[in-house]
Amino acid sequence: MATSLSNMFFKGLANRSLTRPLNGLFYCTRYSTSVSNDSDTHDDFKPANKLEGSDISLANVIEQDVKDNPVMVYMKGVPDLPQCGFSSLAVRVLKHYDVPISARNILEDAELKNAVKAFSNWPTFPQIFIKGEFIGGSDIILNMHQTGELKEKLKDVTSKK
Amino acid sequence: MGSRGATVVLSRANRIRTKLQSALEATVLEVDDVSYQHAGHAAVKESSDKETHFNLKIVSPKFEGQSLVKRHRLVYDLLADELQSGLHALSIIAKTPHETSSAK
Repeated sequence: MATSLSNMFFKGLANRSLTRPLNGLFYCTRYSTSVSNDSDTHDDFKPANKLEGSDISLANVIEQDVKDNPVMVYMKGVPDLPQCGFSSLAVRVLKHYDVPISARNILEDAELKNAVKAFSNWPTFPQIFIKGEFIGGSDIILNMHQTGELKEKLKDVTSKK
Repeated sequence: MGSRGATVVLSRANRIRTKLQSALEATVLEVDDVSYQHAGHAAVKESSDKETHFNLKIVSPKFEGQSLVKRHRLVYDLLADELQSGLHALSIIAKTPHETSSAK
């Protein structure tokens, strides 16, 4: 009983909290306690990973995320500890620019993961949004970096001191 | 591909190739199975499916006038069944015939 309560509390904290590399707030929990076998294909069969008392639709959360954060990344892991090569690549590219990178770790929240997929109609992660616009995944961000398009897109995004 | 032995069903690589070739009329189509690079990946560790990650290089006239996002979406849409049945990630290079010739 005590364990499940503290689990709920822990998840409530970690799951939907935005990780920002610049203010030093990290949640480096690699695996949440009740969802140890994260797999892209069988979300339906996993234990429910619900934020208790959450009435806000996840689509609204995402909408708010991409509106409030000029560079928003939905990724596997956190910016300073990516859990997947593609997420790692995307963050490495973005770190070339002096811009605040906001991120959510979709490995910790299967529902959020599905909601992001549905929101952007894009099947894989990472997913990058710049100034509210869906940019794509790591291939695209790398390509835009190489062509100079990314620099152009980020030039009016100021660094947060 | 021969190393997979006498498989009855087509490999995923073959299905990807067939689907993309017929829909995109690709002039260049490279399908590279790089699943081994991701074998320890949390998401694929417990999956029985061995073909999870591919690098794709596609040159197709169908990409003409399309943004990168649209090109990738086109590929993802064509491979939606695969993505739902264990294909985990794709790395996609999508160019038009014109772009490849001018790059040289």
